[in-house]
Amino acid sequence: MKISVRDAGEAKVVEVEGDVDLGTSPDLRRTLFENLIEAPKLVLNLAAIRYIDSSGIATLIEVLKDSQRRNKKFVLFGLSPAVQQVFRLTHVIRIFQVFQTEEEALGSA
Amino acid sequence: MAQHLHLKLVMPSDPRYLPVVRGAIGSLAAAMGWEECDCRAITLALDEALANIIRHAYHNQADGLIELECRESGDELEVTLLDKGEAPDRTRICARDMACDQPGGLGTHIIRDVMDTVCYQATPAGNRFVATKRLRKTK
Repeated sequence: MKISVRDAGEAKVVEVEGDVDLGTSPDLRRTLFENLIEAPKLVLNLAAIRYIDSSGIATLIEVLKDSQRRNKKFVLFGLSPAVQQVFRLTHVIRIFQVFQTEEEALGSA
Repeated sequence: MAQHLHLKLVMPSDPRYLPVVRGAIGSLAAAMGWEECDCRAITLALDEALANIIRHAYHNQADGLIELECRESGDELEVTLLDKGEAPDRTRICARDMACDQPGGLGTHIIRDVMDTVCYQATPAGNRFVATKRLRKTK
């Protein structure tokens, strides 16, 4: 799994590539929490994720809940069919703000 | 008489090997005739079962062993996992309310949703997890 972070105005955009599983989700968790502290909005690009398991989904839920506690925004975009399938199986899609494109995600309130 | 696939492998309880096993299971499901979406779901379900063994039976210690056996039987795939770690707490399997937004306990629900039958057994050889899924042919 590869993770990169860049600034987009006041927001930070996190790009993830590869597999998010039991072995790699702690790295994603650490990166997301570190960057959530530094910006009012965190935008996660899931387009290049080949595989995500329940530990990856649990990481996203943890970050979302922490963002709500801190009065910050955590939004997702670019869900591939494989990632959408895992969100459906875990019934958690309703709790996230999900967008098609980065522009939409950055422009969301 | 047609021969059926019987795949057996032993993996350490180390998450680094999960992609290897996912690759094998996904390829096997595709060879048996499942569509891509089902192959992904089966792979996810069995990866969740392996991850649960690593986390809960072996407490993230990488020096345990997990035996995985896949049997093709007619139009059914049967997968058996055997470990010698701590036995699962049956009261916590699928204990999560799926309507809640808590992060834990998603894996066992995925396994039950995807596979047709799921069984956890304590045996003298260790903890046995057996799951089956029948291929439903589409026209």
